[in-house]
Order: sequence, then structure tokens, then C-alpha cells
Amino acid sequence: MPFPAKTLIYLMILSGIPALALAQSSTLTGASRSMNPAISVNGLIRGQASRDNPTGDLNGFKIDGVEVQFTSVVDPFWKANFNIGMHPAHAHEGEEDAHAEGMVVHVEEAYLDGQSLPADLGLRLGKFALPFGKHAPLHMHQFPFSDAPVAIAAFLSDHVFADTGAMGIVTAPVPWYSDLRIYGVSGEAAPFDAHNKNLAGGGRLTNLWDLTDDATLELSGSYLHGPDARHPGENKKVDMYGADLTWKWISSARTRGPALNLTVEALWPDYEEGEGDPWGWYGLAQYRFHRNWWLGLGVGQADAGIDHAAAEEPGHEGHDHGLEGDLREYKINLTFAPSEFSAVRAEMVYHQDKVTMEDDLRFIVQANFTIGSHPAHLY
Amino acid sequence: MLNIDNFRSAGRPVVIRIGMFLAMMVFGAGLVLPGPAQAKVKVVATLADLGWIAEQVGGDDVEVEFLCKGHRDPHVLPAKPSLARRMKKADLLVYNGLELEIGWLPLLLDAARNPRIRPGQQGELNCALALGEGGILEVPVGEVDRSQGDIHPLGNPHYLLDPRNGIAVGHLIAERLAVLDPAAADRYRQRADQLARRIEERQKDWETRIGGLGIRKLIVYHQHWEYFAAWMDLEIIGVIENRPGISPAPRHVEGLIELGRQHNPVLVIAATWNHIEAAAHVAGKIGAELAVLPGSTLAVEEATGYLELFEVICRNLETAGAARPKADS
Repeated sequence: MPFPAKTLIYLMILSGIPALALAQSSTLTGASRSMNPAISVNGLIRGQASRDNPTGDLNGFKIDGVEVQFTSVVDPFWKANFNIGMHPAHAHEGEEDAHAEGMVVHVEEAYLDGQSLPADLGLRLGKFALPFGKHAPLHMHQFPFSDAPVAIAAFLSDHVFADTGAMGIVTAPVPWYSDLRIYGVSGEAAPFDAHNKNLAGGGRLTNLWDLTDDATLELSGSYLHGPDARHPGENKKVDMYGADLTWKWISSARTRGPALNLTVEALWPDYEEGEGDPWGWYGLAQYRFHRNWWLGLGVGQADAGIDHAAAEEPGHEGHDHGLEGDLREYKINLTFAPSEFSAVRAEMVYHQDKVTMEDDLRFIVQANFTIGSHPAHLY
Repeated sequence: MLNIDNFRSAGRPVVIRIGMFLAMMVFGAGLVLPGPAQAKVKVVATLADLGWIAEQVGGDDVEVEFLCKGHRDPHVLPAKPSLARRMKKADLLVYNGLELEIGWLPLLLDAARNPRIRPGQQGELNCALALGEGGILEVPVGEVDRSQGDIHPLGNPHYLLDPRNGIAVGHLIAERLAVLDPAAADRYRQRADQLARRIEERQKDWETRIGGLGIRKLIVYHQHWEYFAAWMDLEIIGVIENRPGISPAPRHVEGLIELGRQHNPVLVIAATWNHIEAAAHVAGKIGAELAVLPGSTLAVEEATGYLELFEVICRNLETAGAARPKADS
């Protein structure tokens, strides 16, 4: 073989060209791509202006988050999902993740789903979104507004609420859809004391009724229990109770016709040690009034439930999660979604602390895109 | 005072007699009533068309449910958990394939946790396999990306709008049912043959009626009618939604209207779930008739089955054809 031809072949090998050529029939070289996972990237880009906090990261443009997802069947027994998230560092202070250029890179989810369990049982192993309420398990690109409701951010997490462990899933043999998810996790998520070796756990019972062909009603309850992050090393416990109600209507008469989603969710943390009766809730409405256009309205509250007079006394240590008072929020957004793979929304958010009477008005523009083979989202 | 003798009769305790009576009832009923029925094959079809075909082929040997109601656009069915619930007990999942159901079927399959219908199992049947080589239309050539809209990389998935493909699907379903339920294999094959004959008998009538309308050129809202047009030897000169799933740009619509005027007489066709106002706008500007057609069995009340679907399509086209301006005359 002439030397230049050999050189060319070496260059081809180094460049990966043979892998392309052999993609369909490369059992000999092992260079087949036919078993590669589905890969996708979600990106969120935000521009924001704050009326009352014109400093810091409340103003300007930034990458809100980038999530890379890999999904594939592993073998006859497992299917795997792996999701790497990159978010602004401020949202993850204290986490032992790789920091780079003001961004935190961390594993949002990495789990296996059992594929052939008996008796219709489901099993999930790894790091996964915990099924507490409607909003907490969502990834940022699924949020109905640019940010999580104040109640979810204050008591659970401002991004996907995930932890590492195992979860069993069983569907109840009743005339409506009812599934129970019970999990035990290591307790790394925000409300838990990550250094406490005691396990955390919880469950969710989801009930969904088809009211008509176009409308459903979901009524669900959630519970979790674990070591309280507000008292690291003290082995204090937190219990959290949640309930949510969703009425959803999607017109079947037209492709991308009118649709309306009404959700209300409430949660009640019960700290073994702590003052007050904290609780929070939010309600939201999303209405598709035109093929590509959605209008969203949201209202929410996160109340520390503390004796505010005592909180103002000198020496009061305050509470974790940045929640001291009684936060209220009111949101409205307009979303243009020309396809399933991109959306741009303009949003206005008003925050007010009913205790300090501090408030803030924010204007947000957020672009959301998806490239690659991204799995569709559940109903 | 309790007297045990009150419970005795002819030397047998009453409780024993009651027990004997109940036993006779149970076993007697067993002699009179039919024995436990042979378990039917549970079939879940994604589309109403496929459900109807599976019912015809399966007859009394199967129980059929389908997921996407006929009046819904099958591209965008909401993946409700209640649909996954229907798939839990299925022995056979019959789906269209060519990625028509990609937005919802994978989710439902995962949620159903039914190993019998997972990919590669006997209970999974991709009906696009019934289309022979070259039977799939509009397979993209060259690079495919989403600048072309929500394009189907494997080809146009709306093959059931050619009834000849319905015949092929019927035979495919029969063969798979024969594997799952060998005892009834002959019955499945006979019913598939009967279905084929029924379709073929009607097919000639449909072809004659559409051929007699003098309609040769179509503008369609979505690339839904390519198989129908190929069967009827009609020419699709333009698509309103030129990038699937994306609202058409005004400039494209203007160009299409101009094209329609040049080619008039044309007929504008939209499925019941399409953006009818946009299709009516195009038809109005061209001066052409708009035919709103059922895109699936049960899309309209009269389309009660796959045969009736084509009957309604023919009837609506006849109405539109009769009303269209006689520019060519």
C-alpha cells in the first residue's frame, strides 16, 4: 500500500470517519452507534430587570440553566436516565459540585428504572426527582413561570427536587388512575441535613380522573420525613405534608387548540425544633388562547409562621431557606411557543414581604430551547 | 334452650344438608353454565383505524381498546396516565409507527410497565411493517433537522388513508394474533381475508366516484393526504402547513394562494382537527372549494368504521367537487 494511502487511513481513524461509515455494521470494530442513548440539551436564557434591587444577579442577561439528558434502555431489565445540569452558582451554595465560571455542574438525575418486575411493580434506583407535589419534581425547563413558586423554593428547592435512593411504584386496582410512590433516600436534598446519616423518605399518592375526553382532575397528597437541614448535626427531624389539585382541559377539536390548566398546591413543614407554623401555597392558571400563545397567571405565599415581634428582637438567629417573614408573589407571563422545541416568554413578577413590607418588581424575558432527542413530558 | 335435635333431620345435621345444597348449586351451575371462557387476547391499538381493523380480524377472540379518539390529532395526544392504565393488561400493542405516536406512546409504554408489549416482544406490533419495500412515501432524502418542522424522519406516517394499506395491516395483525393465540390462528387469517374482500369491494366504488369528480389537483393543510392522493392518482400541488407542526408564514401562504390560482381548479383539503380557518382563507382567496375530511375512523360521527371513513371522505369530496367553480368548463 502506498505510504500516502496509509497516512490517509491513519488520519481517518484518528478523525473518527470510519465510525461514521461503520455505524450500521461494525460488530467487528465495536464502533457501532446504533445502541447510543437518546441525547438532548435544554437551555434557558434569561434577561431580567429589577425595579427595587438594581444590583447583583437580579439584573442583566444570564444562562438560567443548561441540562443535558441521556436516555436509553440498558438491557432487558433496566432503562436508564442521566441528566446533568448547569446552573448559576448562587443557587447551589454549599453543594459539593464542580464550580466553573460562576456555574455549578451537577447531576440532576441519574437513575435506573426496572423493566420487568412482577405484579406491575415499578422500581427506580439512583438519584431521581422526588415526587412531592406537582412543582418540585420539575426540571427548570418545565417550569410554568421563570422561577419556582416562593413556597417551593423556600421549603423544598428552587430547581428539581432530587435525592439519591430507591423508589417503589404501584398502581392501585381502582376504577380511576391511582398510583403510590414510596421512596427512601440518603437525605442530600435541600430540606435535609446532608451530613446526617439517617435516611429520609416519603411518598405520594396520585389520583387522576378523566372527567371528559378533554378534561381531567388530579387530587394528590405527598409526605416526606428526614433530618432537618436547619439543625445540622443535631438529628432534628422535619416532616413535610403536601396536597395538590389540578384541573386540566385540552380541547381535542383542534391541533394545538385552546387549553387551560388550573393548579393549586399547598405544603406544610413540621419541624421537630422550630418556632411557628410555616406553610406555603401557590395557585396558577395557564391558558393557551392561540395555537402558539399561552397566558399564565400565578399567585403564591411562603409564610414562616413565626412570631414576628420575637423575630425582631436582638439576637434572634432567624431561619434557614432565607425565609423570615411572609412572602407573597404575583406573576403574569405571556409565552410564545412556535414549536414544541422553543419558547420565549415575557414575565412580570411582584414580590412582597408582608412583615418587612419590602417589595420588588421584576421584568423577565426567558428563552427556552431543546435540541436533540428529548423525551416527551408526562401529562 | 338450644336443642340440637332441632337442627337434625333424617339423621343428618341441618348444617350438613345446607352444605350439600350449596355444593349441588355450585357444581350444578358448573354443569349448566358455560365453563370459564377461553381468555381473550387483549389488544390495545393506538389509533381508532387500527382498533377497528384489529376488531374485524380478531372477532370474538379478542378484546380491543384504542387510545387516540378518532377526532383527535394523533400527533399530539396528551399522554394521560389513564391511557397507560389501559395498556397494563394488554397482550398486544398495535401501533401506527413511523414515529406518528412518538410524542406520547413511549411515555405511556413506560408508565404501563407491561413487559409483554415492550419493543422486541411478540406483543409489540408496528403496523408500518405491513408496507412493503417502497410503500412508505416521503422518506426524507439528505439532511433532516427541525428547521423543516416536526418532520418524520422515517417517512410519511399517514398510510392508513390508502385502504390497500388497511388490507395489508389486517393481514399483519392476523399473523401476529396467530402467534399469540395459535388455537385461533385460522380464524384470524380467515377474518383478515374477509376484511380484505370487503375493502376491495368498496374500493372500486370509491375510486370510480372520486375519479368521476374531475378533481386532479389538491392543496392540503398538512401532509396527511399523500397516500390518499397516490391511491386516487391526485396531485398535491402545495401544503399550507409547509413545515409540519409549525404555523405557516404569511409569505408562504401568499405564494400558495398564487400557485393555487395558477392551477385552479384545485380543491383545498383539511382534516377536521386542522386549523380550518387558515385552510378556508386559502381556499377563499384562490376561489376554490374547501373539503374538511375526517382523518381517521370516528373523526366524525358518521365515520363509524374504517370502511365508513372512506365513504364519508368520498361523500364530502363529492359535495365539494359539485360545488367548486367550473373554471375548466
